[in-house]
Amino acid sequence: MRRVPIIQGELSVIAEPGVMISTLLGSCVAVCLQDPVARVGGMNHFLLVQPESNRPLSASDEQRYGVHAMELLINGMMQHGAMRNRLRGHLYGGANIIAGLAAIGTSNAKFARAFMETEGIEIGRCELGGTLARRVDFIPYEGRVRSMVVRDVPPPVIARAALAEADGDVELF
Amino acid sequence: MPAAATIKVMVVDDQTSMRAMIRRSLQDIGFKDVRDKGSAIEALNAIKSDRVHLIISDFNMPDMDGLQFLEAVRADPVIGKTVFIMLTGSSDREIVQKAAALGVNNYVVKPFAPAALKEKIERVFGELE
Repeated sequence: MRRVPIIQGELSVIAEPGVMISTLLGSCVAVCLQDPVARVGGMNHFLLVQPESNRPLSASDEQRYGVHAMELLINGMMQHGAMRNRLRGHLYGGANIIAGLAAIGTSNAKFARAFMETEGIEIGRCELGGTLARRVDFIPYEGRVRSMVVRDVPPPVIARAALAEADGDVELF
Repeated sequence: MPAAATIKVMVVDDQTSMRAMIRRSLQDIGFKDVRDKGSAIEALNAIKSDRVHLIISDFNMPDMDGLQFLEAVRADPVIGKTVFIMLTGSSDREIVQKAAALGVNNYVVKPFAPAALKEKIERVFGELE
């Protein structure tokens, strides 16, 4: 079995047998989606944007990054023949591991669940929250997923996802 | 200076969450008449029977993508001059160039802040009040 590890901010979409996507989660969330007819699946691993210093983060900022992360995953799957109405998902992560960052895990988990409900995507396994890190292995072709608690907690990631430049690098106007 | 409240907008994106987010951004800017559709085909039919001033459309959609939608709008003798702003991913340079060739008015790269969307709209309509 070929293993494809992903880290925060990454995603992988696979439409072939014999491949496993793996990731290690703390406060982040991983969403595993599969279309059982097209036999394509994908996993992302995201953390909603972190506040800079003491600046509070608005709910709309959080929403923006999360929706974008999910859109990239869904679009990647659709490019491999998946159909939105056949998608089924599994949710992992959102643990409150590190003191002071407790709300971030909860916030990530809350977003992931709300997104699936809004988009009408059936939720299969849902292991969100808690205080322990998880490792998640997903076999996209088969739609099989497993998770296990790990003691080696991922380091706290205080990454700030940058907003896209208002202008891309194609100057039209 | 046009009033945002007088501009009718159609938002097109196959993702419900994205449409809701764009609607909120537009309402924050001051737009009052914002409709949305989950597919370009539905949107095309809707704006042919009830015209809008501005279309904000995703590129990546099943059945009819943003470029095909833009092409269909531009080819229509009635709605052909409707302002069209395309939403793209950061790596879609080629798509932006194709959209420009088809007559897109502007584009916005996801994820974007409401201020960036407002700026792109104002580049077409002028400063909004």
